[in-house]
Formats: sequence, structure tokens, C-alpha cells
Amino acid sequence: MRKDVLIIGGGATGAGIARDLALRGVECLLLEMGDYCNGASGGNHGLLHSGGRYAVKDPPSASECAVENEFLKQVAPFCIENTGGLFISLPGDDAEFPDAFARSCRSAGVPVHELTSKEALASEPGLNPDLERCFMVNDGSIDPFSLVQANVDDARAAGASVLNHCSVAGMTVEGGRVVRVEVRDRRGVLQDTIAPEVVVNAAGAWVSVVARMAGRHIPMGLDQGSMLVLDGRQCAHVIDRLRPPSNGDIAVPNHTSTILGTTSRPARSPEDASVSREDIDLLLRETSAMLPRLRRGRVIRTYGGVRPLLGGGGREASRSFAIFSDEGAENLLSVAGGKLTTYRLMAEKVSDRVCDMLGNGSKCLTHREPLGPPASGSGGTIPLARLVRKYGRLASSIDTTDGRVMCSCEQVLRSEVAMVLKAGDALTLADVMRRTRAGMGYCQGFDCSLSVLEIMMGTEDGDPLPHLDEFLREREHGLAHASGDQLRQELLRRHVLRGVYGLEGKE
Amino acid sequence: MSRVLVIGNGAAGAFSAWLLAKGGWEVTLVGRGTSSTALSTGCLRSAPKLCRDEILEFLGNDDLPWATDGREGISRIGTSYRCWMSPSHSTWNDGGAPKSVAVAGIGEHPSLPVRTTAAMLNRRGIKAIPFIMPVQVPPEAPLSSRFRDEEAWEVMAAELEQLSAEAILLPAMVSLRDYCRLDQLERRCGREILEAVTPLGAPGLRLADLMLSKAKEAGVTVWDGRKVIDLDVSNGAVREAKVLGGSEVRLVALDALVVATGGPLVDGLNIDGRELTDPFGRFQVTGHEDALRGGYDNRNGRLVSSDGQVIVNAVGAGDCLSSKGREYGHGLNQALESAYRAVQTLEGS
Repeated sequence: MRKDVLIIGGGATGAGIARDLALRGVECLLLEMGDYCNGASGGNHGLLHSGGRYAVKDPPSASECAVENEFLKQVAPFCIENTGGLFISLPGDDAEFPDAFARSCRSAGVPVHELTSKEALASEPGLNPDLERCFMVNDGSIDPFSLVQANVDDARAAGASVLNHCSVAGMTVEGGRVVRVEVRDRRGVLQDTIAPEVVVNAAGAWVSVVARMAGRHIPMGLDQGSMLVLDGRQCAHVIDRLRPPSNGDIAVPNHTSTILGTTSRPARSPEDASVSREDIDLLLRETSAMLPRLRRGRVIRTYGGVRPLLGGGGREASRSFAIFSDEGAENLLSVAGGKLTTYRLMAEKVSDRVCDMLGNGSKCLTHREPLGPPASGSGGTIPLARLVRKYGRLASSIDTTDGRVMCSCEQVLRSEVAMVLKAGDALTLADVMRRTRAGMGYCQGFDCSLSVLEIMMGTEDGDPLPHLDEFLREREHGLAHASGDQLRQELLRRHVLRGVYGLEGKE
Repeated sequence: MSRVLVIGNGAAGAFSAWLLAKGGWEVTLVGRGTSSTALSTGCLRSAPKLCRDEILEFLGNDDLPWATDGREGISRIGTSYRCWMSPSHSTWNDGGAPKSVAVAGIGEHPSLPVRTTAAMLNRRGIKAIPFIMPVQVPPEAPLSSRFRDEEAWEVMAAELEQLSAEAILLPAMVSLRDYCRLDQLERRCGREILEAVTPLGAPGLRLADLMLSKAKEAGVTVWDGRKVIDLDVSNGAVREAKVLGGSEVRLVALDALVVATGGPLVDGLNIDGRELTDPFGRFQVTGHEDALRGGYDNRNGRLVSSDGQVIVNAVGAGDCLSSKGREYGHGLNQALESAYRAVQTLEGS
């Protein structure tokens, strides 16, 4: 396969670059070693930043977020819930911070207005009634899986090639250029080596690992953050603590759940995402100070992500991004840092550099070309809005007259599964479950996974066991600290899987 | 005659009630609904180490022929499990697996996902052919009710007759009194009929039915759909239970108590955060750090009150007791043997 540009990494940045370049007429190939959003793009709290979070400490990031927030609401409304965000301070919080916050937001171009506590409680009745100050900002929630898939689909429509489950195993550098890249393709579509003009390393937390294949060194800090998924939407707005960024500051309503975040600790590797019991206690304690009802919420699962941060790491590190290249491998661009909200901007800057290198004078289009339909509409017997939220443009190809439901927790239709399988990107059971949100409810898929698997087995002669193993292992990770009713559900799940089905699992 | 109340209508409750009734006690068994035995494969996974004769007598039944020794069963997703004793159509002889199996399910009904199951059997070297029977059943409907219909049964049987594999794997769907229909089907098709096990499916429900009917035959008074809401414990003994059924509350005086309410898997024990607690608020619970092993504290089966005193006339049986190790799949064995020990403790006192 002859492509001008190879992009490594199928997170938001990589997918965004593939789309940006494809829209400019550049031939490109994107490879993702696992499924899209494998790293930090999937392991975050799904917040569309207003910029408020960074206004005081990192004004450039705040400004970037404020601008990108507006762009994304224009081009990708289907995967965004325009909830608005409330920053609140509580008794005992730094009394100077709220005014500094408001000033910094205004100077960084982050729209903000103050509410009285009466107004705040009227718009979000679950808030702690003792709140002292409250500011409304443009925070929202975003579905990163849907966003990235839409970028992938649109990149393909514009001529890009995108392959998930295809990894880069090595690079050969000769005369200061990457001349060959070795790849491992699970589907067997690609030859063993390819020779692109330009290589873009957008591997997120793995950016140093990939750079090292070309003998380059990228200074990165890896920082783990933990999140909890609480059943149901516990608040109408994104709720944020009005204080310098610290642990357990945020609750984000998203789809049928609420995500509580986050924590921060150094990570030993890109895979070191595990969540500790202390993280869970901390997140519940801190977020329920803002929204007391979260205490009584049911934690369905926990997950972690590893943030790739510029320079050092932790809360003090900049959320900004940088593009690295040097004469040791002059056709290799590595992009590091940044965040989900600014993925489009990062993609634009990288694509500008790529186009410079290729002598392509086209301009970026991604700030105005829509990625999908507006988030509304109804049709057939099933409300279309929910499907549009998950699948963007592809929602229109789902047969909404077929009312058969596969996952009763998330009300996933059989025809959604059929559409996802037909699209061809979902190679494993876990891929299908991720795209459809099947198995994301109470039961964590121990029943619907088998029904979905049965449909997959109808379309290919596969071995079902690796599919089941991978999916169940992934769910089990998130259930390690289950408690209350979710613990009982987990005991049932294990009893059935191991006792009745005799599937092996780690104890 | 001494009066004993047994709380819980699962395997441990039914077996202890049966043993006590045979031992001359006046037994009342209170159950809240479907027994958790329904979650099981309906088999004994290993040979009983204790009270083997009693267990065989308890499970013996004209409607359900059992097969023993080295059996191998198939779950609804084609994984296999070994057991010591099972209903004859639940398993084949260990090592005697057929060379070819027709996996016959009902469309995409979850009772038997035929393509997945066939693929799983194929990877174990058993030639399996998926087959979809021309009968419609909505996914949420249980099969047993559908196939009680003679016409549906006949359509199925006529289709199965045409198959050529050595054995036919069906979803588990017949209840206790219809079990003989599998024998008839086997004779008619001239090939082995095997049923695939699914949790909360026919095998466990059948076994739960069987155990309750055995307890009733032995003279146990069975109160279904009722709940014990309070226990009067004084001077180291349980004296009285308050039983709620519908809107009626009954006070039951008792000389002994068997608690067989099941573990944290069902709601025999409450889970508060990661801690197990006693729903009656009377007994001591241990093993907070590991819900899988936690349960009622006990001294040779006798329960311990919240203030640390051994309660002389109250024993626990089955999964509600704290345990050094609960083994997946072996719950029935553990429940029956533990019920036997509980009864011995009561009778020894």
C-alpha cells in the first residue's frame, strides 16, 4: 500500500489528523494497535472543557479549550451534550479563588457568569445547599468513542485508509529519515513493511515508545487518573469544584450515567492505569461534598486512564501540546500532550506541518466541515436521537423498525449490532460492545455479551473463546472494587461465568 | 414434639427441613420466592463426602432419573463441566462424548446460541452442526411453557428426527413432571438427547421443585412467599420469629432455628459498601474484607449473637455461613453437606 503519510495511533489526535489530511487531499494511512480510543482518548471523563478548569493556572490551554469548545459544538453536535457547567465553592474553600477564577476566565476568553446560590440551586437542585459561590461556564459532555469513530469514518470517506488492530513493530532510519516501517496487521491486509514519505507519531501515552523505534527521545510525563461510573444521571450540568485543580473535582453526566473524576499519580507505563480502592473512596467523598446524593449512587464500574503530559507530570504540568521533530529522523513528527477538547487544534497544527513537508498548500477545513448530523430527530418506532448520539451519520443506516433489544440495560437494538458489524471495524466482541454501549449497564454484559457473540459467530467462522476472554477480562478490571448492590451483581456474574459456564477467570 | 423453623427454601433449607422432619421435629420452612438452587446446573459436582446415603435418598425421585459417576455436561455456550451425579439427559459419560452433535436451538433465543455453542464444541474436536428449529419463542419467554404445547413439541420432534448427528443438544426446557418426554424423544429420534445448562433454567428449577416436594412429603410445612422480619433472641436462645406474608404478620414460637438464607450472591446477607451485614440484625457476621468468604460467624454451626454469645438453638446452613473457600460450581455439594452438619448439631443438643 502506497501512502504519503503514515499516522500511528487511533486516538482522537490520530483520527483527527487522518481526517484533516484526507480533507486536504493528502493520501494517508492510520494504524491503531488496538481499537480506537485505546488509550487516554477512551480513558477520560468525557468532558468538553469550557476552559474554566485551566483558566487560573494555564491560561493558554484555557483559551484553546474555549475556542475549540465552540468549534466542536458546531461540527460535532451529535456526540456532545450541551449541559453547561457549574463551578461551585464550598465553605472552607479558598475565599480568594473565585474572583481570581472569574478574572482569569474573562482574560482567557472563557465565557463565564456568576449565579447566586439561589439561582444555582434552582438550576441544579441536588447541589450542596451550603455552596458559597457559583459560576456557569460552557462545559459539556462528549462521547469520545463516537467522536473518534466519526473522524475515522469521515477520513475514510475522504480517501484515507484506517486500520485498527494493526500495530507498528519497528522503524528503520537511514540518512536521517525513516525509510521503512514494520507493521503487524491482524487482518493480514498490509504487507510487513511500508515506506511512507512522512510518519506522524500520535501514539498518546505511547509516543515515547514509538519515537524510540526511530531512535528519538521525547520527554513525556505519564500520569494516571481514576474515574468512577455511577448509575443514572445524577446531575443536569457538569459540576466542578471552584478551587485550584485537585482530586475528585468533577461530575460529568453522560449518556445513562454520571462519571466522577479524577485523581492523579505518576504512571510507570502507558498500561499502568489501575484504580485503587483509596481512589474510589476519595472520589466519592470529594464529589459528594458538591452533590450529596452521589454518596448513595451505585458505582457500576471504575476505570483509569494514563495522561500523556508534556515535560513532567501531575497537576502542575501544562495541558498544552507540542510537535517534535529533529534532524535525526526529519520525516518523523511526534505530537505530545494536549487533551480531548483540543484534539482538532492539535490535528490542524500537525497537518499544517505535514503539508509543509509535502509541499501541499491546502488549508485546514475541520473547523467548519461538519463531522455528523445535528443531534436531534425521530423516526421509525425508536427515537433516533439516542442512535445519532452514538453513531453520528451511521445512525440513519440502522433499521429502527426492528424492535429487538440485545442489551436491556442500555436498550441496544439488534439492528445496531448488525450495523456495527457491517461497518467492518469491529473485529472483536469487545469492539462491538464498546461501539454499541452494550454491556455498560448494571450487569456489565455478562448476559448480552453472549447474544452479541452469537450474532458475530453468524458472520464469521471464529473461535468464540478469545472474544469472550478479552471482553470478560476487560469488564472484570472495572469491577475489582465493586461494592454494595454492584458487588452482589458481580458475585452473580462470577458464579454464572465460572460455576455454571465453567469459564476460567483470575481469582 | 420440638418446633423448628427453617428460613430459606434453597438446597440447604430444604435438605435440613427434610432431615429434621424425618428425625421427628415439627418443621416449618419459610421461603421468599424462587430458590437460589435455580441458579445452579442442577447437578452434584462431586461425590458427597458426608451423608451420601441421605443425599441420594433426598434427591431420589420417580420423575427424574439420575446418572452417577464421572459425567460431563455442556453449558448453553458449549463449555463443559464435570460432575458426579446429574439428571440422565444433562450429561454424557465422561470420555463418552459423541463424535458429532446437532446443536438445535430456537432462532436467537438465548437458551442456546447455536452458532457459538457449535463453534465451542468444534474447537474441542466434537463435530457440531448448528440447527435452528422452526419454532418461534420471544427471547424473554421461558421455553418450558412453549413446549408444553403439544403442537410445538410435535413440530420440534419431527424436525429432530431428520437430523443425522450422533447426539442432539437441546436447550434445557422440560420441568420435573415432563422430564420423561426427553426419554420419549430419545427413543423416537434413535439418538442421544442432551440438554444444555443455563442459569435460572430448567435444571436448577427442576431440582428446586424436587427438593421442596421431598420436604413436603416428609411432613414439612412449607410457607412460600413469606419473609421472616424479626427474631426474638433472649438468654442465648431464639424464642420467637415474626413472619410476614402479604399483609399478615404471624408470631411463631420455636424451639430451634435453622438459618439457610443463602450468601451474598442472593440477598441472604446484606452488602453495605464492601461489608456484609445480617438482615435480621441479630447475628455476628465475619469476613468483611472478602465478601466471597464472609458470612455468619459460627461455633460448630451454632450462630453467634451480635454481642458475641453463642446461641444454643440456632444453626446456620449453606452459603450464609462464613466459609474458608466457596468454590464456584460446588454450591450444591456445600449446601447439602453443611445442612447435614447443622442438623447433627441441633440433634446433638
